[in-house]
Amino acid sequence: MKEAPLDYVKRNISGRLEAGLRHSAAKRSKAIVSSLVYYFVLLSLSFVFVYPLLYMVSKSLMQSWDVADATVRWIPTRFSLYNYQVAFAEMKYWQGFLNSVVTSFGSAALQIVSCSLIGYGFARYRFPGYGLWLGLLVFTFLVPPQTIVVPLYMFFSDLGWINTHLPFVVPAAFGHGLQGALFVLIFIQFYRRLPGVLEEAARIDGAGHMRTYWQIMFPLGRPAMLVVFLFSSVWHWNDNFQPSTYLQLPPFYNLAQRMSGFYGKANMSAEQMSQSISAEAIGMAPTLINQIMAGVILSILPILLMYLFVQRYFVESVERSGIAGE
Amino acid sequence: MRWRHFLEGYSFVGLWIAGFFLFMAIPLGRSLYYSFQELKTSREGLIAEYVGTLHFRAAFTVDVNFLPLLRETMTTMLSHVPLVLVFAMICALLLNRHARGRMFFRGIFFLPVIIASGTILKKLMEQGAAQLPIFMQYDLYSKLRLFIPGDGLVTLLEYSDSLTLVMWDSGVQILIFLAGLQTISPQLYEAAKCDGATKWESFWKITFPMILPMVFVNTLFTMVNSFTKADNGVMNHLRTVVFSNNNYGYGSALGWIYFMMIFMLLGIVFLLFRKSLTSMEGRG
Repeated sequence: MKEAPLDYVKRNISGRLEAGLRHSAAKRSKAIVSSLVYYFVLLSLSFVFVYPLLYMVSKSLMQSWDVADATVRWIPTRFSLYNYQVAFAEMKYWQGFLNSVVTSFGSAALQIVSCSLIGYGFARYRFPGYGLWLGLLVFTFLVPPQTIVVPLYMFFSDLGWINTHLPFVVPAAFGHGLQGALFVLIFIQFYRRLPGVLEEAARIDGAGHMRTYWQIMFPLGRPAMLVVFLFSSVWHWNDNFQPSTYLQLPPFYNLAQRMSGFYGKANMSAEQMSQSISAEAIGMAPTLINQIMAGVILSILPILLMYLFVQRYFVESVERSGIAGE
Repeated sequence: MRWRHFLEGYSFVGLWIAGFFLFMAIPLGRSLYYSFQELKTSREGLIAEYVGTLHFRAAFTVDVNFLPLLRETMTTMLSHVPLVLVFAMICALLLNRHARGRMFFRGIFFLPVIIASGTILKKLMEQGAAQLPIFMQYDLYSKLRLFIPGDGLVTLLEYSDSLTLVMWDSGVQILIFLAGLQTISPQLYEAAKCDGATKWESFWKITFPMILPMVFVNTLFTMVNSFTKADNGVMNHLRTVVFSNNNYGYGSALGWIYFMMIFMLLGIVFLLFRKSLTSMEGRG
C-alpha cells in the first residue's frame, strides 16, 4: 500500500514538531534545575563568606548579659553602641587611623607610581641583563620578608627611621615594600597587552620616552592601578609583621597593632574577672568578646567601606588588567 | 640607536634595580653573614664574632621548637595547597557563568581578600568565628540525618568544618583563575560543542590546559602565602628569637634555613610545571 505523498509529509512534520517540542521542554526544565542548583551553591558559599562578618557585628552589639545568655543567639536584646565606644577610646582610634592611612594608602599610592614605571620598562624594552633582572624580580617575590628582617631593621635603625613611616614608604617608592615584586609583575602583564601603536604615534610626534610614558601609557594603566592599589592598601592595612617591627612606641601604632593590644588587654581583664568570681558562677566565665569584636570591626571598617565603593570597578579591572597572563 | 634603546629601558627599571640592592640584595647578604656570627650589643654598637655553622647546627639539635614548627608548617602547606587550588577553581568556574547577580556574588567571594589577610583572621580563628559552628552544632546534624545515613555524616561535617579555613584563604586565587577564564575564547567551547563534546570533556580538553599557567601561578602564590601567613608558627618563633631574645645571629640563621626550604619546594613545583608549561608556549 502506497501512502499519499501529502499524508507522508504531514505525518513526518507533525512527528518532528512533537519530538522537537518534547525535546525543548526537557531542555528547559533541565535548565531550571541546573540554575536552581547553581544559585543554591552560590548562596551557601556566600553565606560561609559573610558569616564571620555577621557574627562579629552581632556579637559586637551585644551587652555582657546577652553574651552570657544562651537564648540570645544573634539579635541583642537592647541596641547599644557601648562596646564600640569602649573599643574606640581604648584603641585611641583616630591616632591609629591616621598612622594606618599613611602607611597603607601612602605606600599603595607610591607603589602604583613606581611599579607601573618599572613594569612598563620590563614590558616594552629589551636590554642587556633583561633576563637576569626579570629573574631577580621573581626571586624577590619568593624571598620571605622574615629572612631579611634583621639587616633591614638594623639598616633602618642606623638611618633613624624606627618609629617613623619611612620604612614603609621609601621601599614602596622604589617598587619594593610589601609584595612590590608581585605588583610589578601585574603591571608587566598589563602593559604587554597594550598595542604599541599609541607609543609609536607619540614618538613620531616628537615626544620623548618619558613624556610618552607619563602622558599616554601611565593614564592607560588605570585598571591595573586599581587592582594594585586595592591589594596594596589592604595588605598594608592588615599587615602586622612590618609595623610591629618598625613601629615600637604606642603613639605610632597603626590600627592592626592597636587591635592586637586591645585584644590582649580585654582577654586579661576577662581572666581577672573570672578569678574574682565566686564559686557559684563557675561555668559562666566572663568574656569580653563583644568588645573585642567591636574593636575588630572598627579596625577593618575603613577598608571595608573602601571595598564597598570600588568593588564593582575592582572586579571589572581584574578581568581587564590581565593579572593572570602567562 | 640601540644604545639609546638600552638606556631608555634602564631609565624605567633603574629605580627597581637601585631598590633591589638597597632593600633586597644587601640585606640578604648581610643576613647570610650574620647567620655565621654571634652578635652582641655593647656600648659601641653591635659586635660580631665569627662562630661558624654553630647557629645552623643549633637549629637542628638544640632548639626544641624549631623542627616541630617547621614540620607543622610543611604538612599544613602540603594539605592546604591542593584544597585551595581545587576550591578556587570551582568558585572561579561558578562565578564565570553568565548568570544574573554574578557581580553581587563576586563582590562577596572576594570579601576574604579584604578581611582574611593578616591578624584579623587569626583573632577570629581564636574566637572560633572564622569557622562555621553550624557544621558541628545546632540541629544541622539531626536535620541532615534524614537525608544522609549516619556514619558518613560526622566525618563529612568535620571535613566541612576545616574546609571553611581553606575557603577563607582562596580569595586571591579565585581572582586569578577568574581572570584566566576570561581570556579563553568562547569560540573554542562552541567548536567543541559542535563536535559533540560534553561539558566535562571540554573542561579537561579546553579549560584545564588553557588555565594551566594560572594553576602554576596560584600554586606559587598559595605556597608563598602559607609560608608567610600571620599564624605561621615558624614566623612567630623567628620573631620571638630576634626581637624578644635579641638573638640576631641565630634569627638570621633560622631565616636562611626557612628560606632554603621554601626555595627547594618552589623549585620542585617549578620543575613539575615546567614540562607542561613549555608545551603551552606559542599559544600567544
